[in-house]
Formats: sequence, structure tokens, C-alpha cells
Amino acid sequence: MALSEEATPADLEMVERILVALRDPEGSDELRRVHACGVGAAGWFEASPVAADYCVARHFALYDNPALDRAGDRFRDPAAAGRPKPKRTPVTVRFSNGSGAKARRDGWSDVRGMATRFHLDDGSETDLIAMTLRSLFAPTAQTFLKFSSAAVAKACSRQPWWRKLLDLLRLTPPMPDPYVGQRIRGNEGAIAFAKRAGNDYCRTPLFLATLIGAPTSYLRAAYHAAHTFVVTGADGTRRWVRFDWQPIDGVLNLNPLDPRATPSDPPRDPLDPPHDYLRAAMIERLAQAPARFSLMMTLGETGDAFDDCARPWPPHRVRIEMGTLTLDRVLSDAEQLEKCELMRFNPWRLTPGIEPSDDPLLRVRRDAYEIGSARRIAARGRKAGPGAACPFSGG
Amino acid sequence: MADDRGWLDRFVDGLPEQAWFKFLSTYVVVPFWAWRIPTPKLKGGPRPSPQPSENVQRMMNLVMPLKDTTPIGRAKAALAIAQNVDQIFSGLDNVGTVHFARFIIIENNICMISVYDGDFSNYIRDFVVTIGGLFDDVLDHVEGGDVLRPTTQNVDKVIDWIHAHDLFQAPDFPTDFFLLQDAAKGLPQDDRAHDIRLLPRALILQMRANPSLSLGGGYRAYPGFSAAQVRQKLGVGT
Repeated sequence: MALSEEATPADLEMVERILVALRDPEGSDELRRVHACGVGAAGWFEASPVAADYCVARHFALYDNPALDRAGDRFRDPAAAGRPKPKRTPVTVRFSNGSGAKARRDGWSDVRGMATRFHLDDGSETDLIAMTLRSLFAPTAQTFLKFSSAAVAKACSRQPWWRKLLDLLRLTPPMPDPYVGQRIRGNEGAIAFAKRAGNDYCRTPLFLATLIGAPTSYLRAAYHAAHTFVVTGADGTRRWVRFDWQPIDGVLNLNPLDPRATPSDPPRDPLDPPHDYLRAAMIERLAQAPARFSLMMTLGETGDAFDDCARPWPPHRVRIEMGTLTLDRVLSDAEQLEKCELMRFNPWRLTPGIEPSDDPLLRVRRDAYEIGSARRIAARGRKAGPGAACPFSGG
Repeated sequence: MADDRGWLDRFVDGLPEQAWFKFLSTYVVVPFWAWRIPTPKLKGGPRPSPQPSENVQRMMNLVMPLKDTTPIGRAKAALAIAQNVDQIFSGLDNVGTVHFARFIIIENNICMISVYDGDFSNYIRDFVVTIGGLFDDVLDHVEGGDVLRPTTQNVDKVIDWIHAHDLFQAPDFPTDFFLLQDAAKGLPQDDRAHDIRLLPRALILQMRANPSLSLGGGYRAYPGFSAAQVRQKLGVGT
């Protein structure tokens, strides 16, 4: 991918300012600005029998040969004699912690990411970027920059006892104590920003983020691609939709009062959860059997926020089961670098059948991902590719 | 890991679990804030929406306090339902917009829990027309029910009464509480300052005004479809 052709110098300056605002003091130029620590996995995606009715993208076709896609065959038992095997689209997935810090803090309460690359059968690729929050913190580049600037991580400490007592008497939970080893956080700045009139857009995602916790496994969290996309069905109908991954293993968080990674571990201090257990949990789980996620697609209705990724849709919209993702192995260390850390995911990397909506932040993310990933790769001494140069250098 | 908190820190951290502090909060702190920030009771039932999927599979959680809360009184209420099963089933078939409906007795209340399509008032109107006789029998056992009988001649009163006894449905997104409370207080709906750290207090005060509530819109296996669409698709009716 390259930078969007319609991006103006002002757009690119905005992207640059956002990237600066997202810089984590404990991060690294060789890592992503956010979601710095990741774990890669591989597997395949199989479309559901109804997926192609709603979207003609290649990975939503049930069979390699469209002629086989007869309605009568679709709902037959896959194991039945004579029924062709459903098509499998290979995928690479990068799960991640939301923090931009280079130190892995798996047990800290944080948003998690699931970036999925579908390797399509014509040699092209498409990405689906999702996270455990249902919506992003702001709907536009300007508001995102304001929020990100306010939420810059600053030095944090335990609230004094009298402050906590005052909070309790105000019927307000005191701010949580910092984790052991936590020196900075953006919570206070983000909450103060959300309080002000005019900043209502970030209240819902921020409130939900404060409650989010830590999963027992990346395979036991639900992930939401907050942006709206436009999909075209087999009959040419265009629909405004949002995608979610639902884990077949079910959603399960660590117990915040005793955040031990496995039941056999000794009890843990709530402020000192385990730092590095999510990769091991995935290796252990996939050694037993492949893990699966359902891809659900929600159809928007007139009146829904099609261009506002900070506003989740109500849970009562028509939902279509689009297929199943099966993960059967964790990437090796070498693959982790080549296939995940150097991979340039982008929410705008779409394929015929799926188009971007008018969501302005989706457009911003396209350029932010391109510029950010090119610099990250260049910082590792690799060939950076297009988008690496400073957008203001005139080059 | 050594605990480096001072004794005052530990004392305050433990307060929420102390019985005396819970007592103080319940009988002093919460009433103080309820006086300081009057929080009106929020109306029950689904909120109006022009969006199609918000107008199907709507929930009614009707909680009716029993007059006689003894085991004998509760048994009488149960019998009033048991004696009218045919009337309920044929009536709801005739209403045609009901997905599920059941009566349950929870301690001192008889409740009707149902999932229906369309407008609330029309649902109750159809309901009274088709099974008003049953409703008369049930209201005979309910506090405040006498003035509504016969229901077929007091339809508008019945609608208001049921609306008042239908549980408030908490919003799907917690921070929308602020908007609902502002609206109930007659405050403008523009983007006002609100501190998300005070949302728990807003919820506590609302729970004081609405002791019972429905938590969110609930899960649906096939959201967005009416009872008629489901019946038609399954080939079991229209």
C-alpha cells in the first residue's frame, strides 16, 4: 500500500501530530506506537454458507469453484459424501497488548488487539484490524489528536488516603493504585479530558476501557473492528456493516483480585499480575487442539453512526455469521519478527467486495499505519518501502 | 512483594468491605447525595426509536405487587393464571406480535415477562382486547388493580399503569445514563460536562429511584426479525 493519493499536506501533518501524541515514553522506535508487544499465530478462515450472499470478497466464497456454490449443497453436513470441501483462506494473526511500552505487561488491564491478514487465493491480501473495545476513543482526526494529547502517559502514584476517603464519600471509586513497576499512565489525563463539555464522544469507550481487565488468553477475548465498512452482496446490494470476532472458547478474564495466569500458580497480588503468560497460554492451548473464532458481521441501519467509530452500534442489529477462523499454531520467534513485527497491517487494506465507509478516522489510520510502519521497519535497518520518508520533507 | 502502604492507606482501602462503613454509606452517604442530587425515577419500557431493529423483539418486564403476599395469596394468583391458560395462548396467538410471554411469581410480585414487536401502547391495547378477562382476574390479586377493572373499559388507564410498572431498561452503553438522567430532569440534551468517575454514583442514585431495573437490552439469537418474519421463514404461519 501507499499513502492515500488524496491525502493533503495538512492531512499528513495531522497524521504526524497524532504519531507524536501516541509516542510512549517507554516505547521504542523499532516497535509500534501502540500495541507494541504482540504474539503471532497462523491458521485459516472458512466462510459460512451464507457469507457470499452478503459479501463477494474472495475469502467469503464457500468453495474454490463458484459453480459448486449451490444453495442445496451449502447446508449439507460438511462430512457428507459428495459435498466438496469448503475453501480455506490462509491467515496470519497478530494478537497484541494495547500499550506502546516495549516491556510486556500481559496481566495489566489493557485493550488487546487482533490484526488478521487474509492471504487470498489470487495472491492479494486483505486485513481486518480489531480490538477488545467496541469503539475507538474519538471519531475524527482532530478529536483523536485532542484525546491522544490529553491521554499522554504521565507520572503516576498512589492516591493519598484522604483523597481516597473523599472519593468514597462522593460514592466514587478511588483511582486504582498503580501496578508494581508502573511509573506512568494516561488514565488521569484521559478522564479529565472526557469530563469537559464537548468531549462526550470519548466517554463510552473510556469508561469501558477502565473496566476492561486482562484476558486469560488472547484466544479468550472478543475483538471488534470498530470502523464501518461497505460490503457488496452477490445480488449487488451494498450494506454498511461492522465486524466482530467471537471466541469459540468463550471470553474469560483473569480474576482481578487474584490474577494468577493458571489455576496451579500461587496466589498473586492484584497489583502484581504476571507479565508474560499470554504467548505460553496460546502455545499450550493450540498444542491441545486448534482454537476458533466466529466472524460476525452486524448490519447497520439508517440512523446508526456509519462514520463515527467512537459510537458503538446497539446490540440489536441483524447479525450475520460470516465464517470461522481456525488457528493451529503460534509463530516461531523468527516468524514472529518477519510475519508480525515487520508486517504492515492496515485497516484500509481491503479487497473487492469490501469498501471503506466515510469514517474519517479510517482514512487517517490508513496513512498513520503506513507512515508509522515504514519508520518502524526503517529503524530496524530494513528496507522501509514507500511511506518511509517524512511527509514534510518534500521527497 | 512488600506492602509499602501506611496504616491509613490500608485502613481506607479496606473501608468498602467494612460493615460499619457499608451501614454509614447506605443510611447516611447515599441519602445525602440523593438529597443533594435529586434523581427522578426513570420510566419503564423500551424508549421510542425510529430504527427498525429497535422496534422488534422489545422487552416487557411487568412487575405487579400482590395484595396478599402470604403463601395462600400467592397460590391464588398462580391459580388465576393456571385457570386461563387457553385464554392466554389463544389471545397471544391473536395478538400476533409476541415472541415469548410468561407469568412468574417472584416473592411478593406477579410478573409478566414478554418479548413483542411494535409499539408498546398498541401491544397493551391488543393484549387487553384479546385477554382482558384474564387480566381482570390477575388484577384482582394485585395492589392498585381494582381501579383498572374491567380493563376493557379502562384501556388508557391500563396502559399508563403497565408503563409505570414495567421495569426501567438501563441503556446498552453505560454513559448514556447521563443523558437519560439529564432528560428526566428537564436539562438540555446538548453535550454537557460529565465525569465518568461519577457514573457509579449516578447508577447508585438511579437504583435508589428505580429499585428494580432491566440491565441493557439483552441478548437476541436472531436480532432484527419480527415474530411474523420468523414464523413465515420457518413455514409455520404468517
